[in-house]
Amino acid sequence: MPEIDFTIDEQTGEMEMKVEGVQGPQCADVAKLVTELLGAPEIEEKTEEFYTRPHVKPQVQNKRKA
Amino acid sequence: MSKYMTFPEVAFKDRDLLIAALEEIGCSYIRQGTGLEMGRYYSEQLEQKVAIVVPRGAIGNNYGDIGFELTESGEYRPVMDDLDRSRALNGRFIPKLRAAYNERVIAKVAARLRGTTQRAVEGGVVKIKVRF
Repeated sequence: MPEIDFTIDEQTGEMEMKVEGVQGPQCADVAKLVTELLGAPEIEEKTEEFYTRPHVKPQVQNKRKA
Repeated sequence: MSKYMTFPEVAFKDRDLLIAALEEIGCSYIRQGTGLEMGRYYSEQLEQKVAIVVPRGAIGNNYGDIGFELTESGEYRPVMDDLDRSRALNGRFIPKLRAAYNERVIAKVAARLRGTTQRAVEGGVVKIKVRF
């Protein structure tokens, strides 16, 4: 199950987030949602999952003759 | 010396979340608008026009109002008297506001993703997990 881990340092109020279980560019979509509310991050590191291409099964359509 | 200062390193993007966070940390009678003038209680405090004003004395800011100016990039940046920096909420105004704001950001993200949240506090660190 995809998840986002947020940590907030109570001393400074600064926040870090890590997106897990989301492969490929969809991970960037989640990050975009957060940056809409927070602004651009000071530091951004892409995890291995970002570079993993999501496995999509090709859809096969059965054509039937009437 | 008393003077109003802007904190360029601190910015909040969402006005509603910022207001909610300010209320959570104890600010009341918050004024909102455009071009609101901050009170000038000392001669060194120059004119400041902002979008949000927390009145003097609300949370230990005894030297002046606390304002938030709206930047061209659409962010709200705090403006407060130099001497209130170490007095408002015992010097914890900015960290507490950031933490309260960030928690609201997480709640909004979780709602948009239709996710569930799990919150824990460990050694001065708030950990929130959002599953979706």
